Amino acid sequence: MSATPQSADESPERPLLQSLGAILWPSFFAAGVATMVFFAFIDPLELREISFTQLPISRSMGYTIGFFMFWLATASSSLFTWLLLRPGSRFNHPMRPD
Amino acid sequence: MATEIPFKLVPEPAGHAAYVSEGKVYPREVSGRFDRLRKLAVVVLLGLYYGVAWLPWNGRQAVLFDLPARKFHVFGLTFWPQDFPFLALLLVVLALTLFFVTALAGRLWCGYACPQTVWTEVFLMMERWTEGDRHKRMKLDAAPWSREKLLRKGSKHALWLIFALWTGFTFVGYFTPIADLGARLVPFQWNGWELFWVLFYSLATWGNAGFLREQVCKYMCPYARFQSAMFDRDTLIIAYDPMRGEPRGPRARGLASVLKRARGLLDVRAAYDYVFRSSRHPTAADARIQTRGTITFDTGLDAPALPKFAAEELGDCISCTLCVQVCPTGIDIRNGLQYECIACGACIDACDSVMDKMGYPRGLIRYSSQNAIDAQPARVLRPRMLIYGALLVTLVAAWVIGVSTRSPLIADVLRDRNALYRVNSEGIGNGYTLKLINKTDLNQHYRITLESATPGIALRTSAQTIEVGPEQVLAVPIEVGAPAGISGRHELTFVIESLDGKVRRSISSSFFGPPQ
Repeated sequence: MSATPQSADESPERPLLQSLGAILWPSFFAAGVATMVFFAFIDPLELREISFTQLPISRSMGYTIGFFMFWLATASSSLFTWLLLRPGSRFNHPMRPD
Repeated sequence: MATEIPFKLVPEPAGHAAYVSEGKVYPREVSGRFDRLRKLAVVVLLGLYYGVAWLPWNGRQAVLFDLPARKFHVFGLTFWPQDFPFLALLLVVLALTLFFVTALAGRLWCGYACPQTVWTEVFLMMERWTEGDRHKRMKLDAAPWSREKLLRKGSKHALWLIFALWTGFTFVGYFTPIADLGARLVPFQWNGWELFWVLFYSLATWGNAGFLREQVCKYMCPYARFQSAMFDRDTLIIAYDPMRGEPRGPRARGLASVLKRARGLLDVRAAYDYVFRSSRHPTAADARIQTRGTITFDTGLDAPALPKFAAEELGDCISCTLCVQVCPTGIDIRNGLQYECIACGACIDACDSVMDKMGYPRGLIRYSSQNAIDAQPARVLRPRMLIYGALLVTLVAAWVIGVSTRSPLIADVLRDRNALYRVNSEGIGNGYTLKLINKTDLNQHYRITLESATPGIALRTSAQTIEVGPEQVLAVPIEVGAPAGISGRHELTFVIESLDGKVRRSISSSFFGPPQ
């Protein structure tokens, strides 16, 4: 039995930096837009009132926390997409000779 | 049981090398009409960016996005979070403007107005002052470290950093009053957010304009990826005229332009065949300058190299490769329209100067449309122009009308969350919070009244006139009472009226009594 030939559309692996960029940059962008829309309607101080009333969270701090939470979510989604799009050959390495 | 599966690695076909690290592009300096236009755009746009932040307006900064106070000031207008639909509409208008301009005139935005282009241009200028022209920069990068290299590179980065820091400072100056921010520089009294954002934006400027440059356009910019959707064969593009230019090649001086020779313009098919074959078999000079375009001709095809042409057969392209050397994205425009082309016109300026030297008419590379180049009928008024135009006019009108007829008062009533109703000696009570936002620059007095179809429901709050300061957000607790015996849900309406009678708002809510 010979090795299954790889399908023609399998491109060579991208450099790490390019993969990182393709995951982090669009998610940064999406998180920025989401933050803008979300906080246009919700005041971080009102959000604090119904959640962590004992913490001294200012508006700026609220915006920052919100942005990084959005970024975490969008970046996770981008990372997941990247994982799903990786061709099988990246996982199905031939066994190393003993 | 270890069975070895026989396999062997199949070498990749030549020309399909894995992602190689991209070489640095060293754009050659160019002068000409389009370069002057871009320099003008740089001066105007950067002047606006660095200048507008300092403009005063009625005792405050003219353009200030005050995030902690949740207010945006733009000259005489103040925008509140409730005005978000206007911001959304404005973004839609801007996007449509981009579509309209792109369909009509190609990537004018990329070539002249995009911050990436504008700041890269300035950073390139500083690079030229410190490191010299393209040739000197390439030599300097290849040379081993020396005192001179250190000095030149050091001064370049010093200039870049100062400029980047000023850029970051101005950026933050749009969110916190810039005069105050400047005053708190010495002695240093910035808070953590201000410091972080100044440094973050400076770093982004330094990295994007100093290092990433054309990579941003090629790999990071979403617009570069979808702009082709707005293009058709009548869109203005930077185009090389292969009918006139091919076959390209060096020649002795004295040969006249094809426009004055018996050969004349080539037939379209032959011209594109020459372009294709030249790109497949680059000359030594072409290979040395390493064009980085990703233009994909039909890969299944192969064509033999072009023969050597007699002088009188040659087209007007002398194969000087200047158009490639000046290109900020490092492509060869002679291969045709490519998504990397940001339509900056540098290749036009370079080619025009060569045509002048050769005594040929200008315009071998020019602003044109694919139809015009291919000698097909060209149209400006296409359905897409009319659709984009009509949408644009409608939305701009909607925005202007919307902004100019904004209500100067925002009023909102929230029922208290804790208890649906309270029963005491006076009867039944319901608590509400009235939120008033006075969007004007003046003190306002509002009268609050209550309307209800159910007799007996009335305001219990004594002070029924409320003063709200200029641009103030006020939350007023309100108690509504009803005699004992009222049960279930009852509609009521709060009416907020300014004392001068100019503004009137009605807000519906509900009154609850004990269940029957």
